[in-house]
Amino acid sequence: MPLEILGPMVVLGIGGIALLMHFVGLSKPFQLTGEHSRTAWVREVPDDVPTQILIANNQENALLKLASGKLGLVHVMGADTTARYLTGATWHSSNSALTIHLPDFGAPKFTIPLSPQEQANWTALKDAAS
Amino acid sequence: MKTELSYPDVTTYAVPFFIALILLELGYILLKHRRSGAAGRYETRDALTSLIMGAGSVISGILLGFITFGFLTFLWFLTPLDLGASLGVIILCFVLDDLRYYWVHRFGHRVRWVWASHVNHHSSQHYNLTTALRQTWTGTFTFMMIVRAPLILLGFHPALVLFCGGMNLVYQFWIHTEAITRLPRWFESVMNTPSHHRVHHGRNARYLDANYAGVFIVWDKLFGTFVPELDEDKPDYGLVQNLGTFNPLRVAFHEWVGIFKDATQRGLTWRERFLYCFAPPGYSHDGSRDTSAAIKAKHLARHPEDAGTAGFES
Repeated sequence: MPLEILGPMVVLGIGGIALLMHFVGLSKPFQLTGEHSRTAWVREVPDDVPTQILIANNQENALLKLASGKLGLVHVMGADTTARYLTGATWHSSNSALTIHLPDFGAPKFTIPLSPQEQANWTALKDAAS
Repeated sequence: MKTELSYPDVTTYAVPFFIALILLELGYILLKHRRSGAAGRYETRDALTSLIMGAGSVISGILLGFITFGFLTFLWFLTPLDLGASLGVIILCFVLDDLRYYWVHRFGHRVRWVWASHVNHHSSQHYNLTTALRQTWTGTFTFMMIVRAPLILLGFHPALVLFCGGMNLVYQFWIHTEAITRLPRWFESVMNTPSHHRVHHGRNARYLDANYAGVFIVWDKLFGTFVPELDEDKPDYGLVQNLGTFNPLRVAFHEWVGIFKDATQRGLTWRERFLYCFAPPGYSHDGSRDTSAAIKAKHLARHPEDAGTAGFES
């Protein structure tokens, strides 16, 4: 197929499908509860169960203290979730968000909107785990 | 004088049909099954990433396709054999190329160097027609074109072999759906179907390293890698450890970066560096990660009642 036909068709097709999905409400992120956070963690790391869970107010992130004593994060990815140990992570706080950098090319950074009070709670759990 | 052949690039001609079928599946899910999710799920960023990966794969093919084509053409000039392009030869080539696909795909899951290219196809946590288009950008670097060499040396024209490969990929598009449950038994027993391929995309311990087929599921049955889809163990799609990004560049290259980081760690032997590149995914020199065999073993330790059932036979 000539590129001058294929190119616009691909661009319009991708753009059109994405816009359609957005406008019918398929961009709404998943909302975590405590049970969701536990299930999402165990789904990826079944051998290290959560013992304590802190869910961010936006319900898209949860900090977990695990049976091993390590810290973990469950993060909403669209309609789904991913889970990561926070071993080797660096934390950067601002007034409205916590940014966690991981040495992981497939999950390099999580920016988590957190109030100062929530940040204090997350830091306390982090300190308790370390 | 050898046969001169040219065939259309079927994957690009199929693009309008891909778009139309995605819209059809999306409409069907929205109108009939949105609440239950029984016919599949769509999410904007996931689908957008899949579609961009598909477009990138086409661009990669345009930019790097000359390497594979040049290699196959070189072999074509070496071989004294020329089977021509009769209908029987085309059908035979299609079947043998599907066998070639089975082994390339199996290597793609069992050799980390090849997995680094293929992993992005499994990185969506959804299973819909856009997932079919989440294709590799780095297939050329796996050097799996070598597996096509026997076909050329047997006398199948490079253009015919590439045409059959394209047809194989086009066939596999429609099986990436949850909207079709099961097809008639005779079809399920011979052909790769949505049910068989859902198993292949499952990250459940039961379904790891199963159903590598492209078109004919008989290869899995022949080589012992077939696992049926069980209603009591619904496939959970995605990777054993799912990605934390929708960035297509990270999706395309994350496993290559992982290989580089692992193989260049300080204090490893050369054997360990080699294994980080070519052992099954999940290998680690210190046992800190799990291969699919270890994941299955740990599952059976937690669920001994599953021992001996499909996917846990050995």
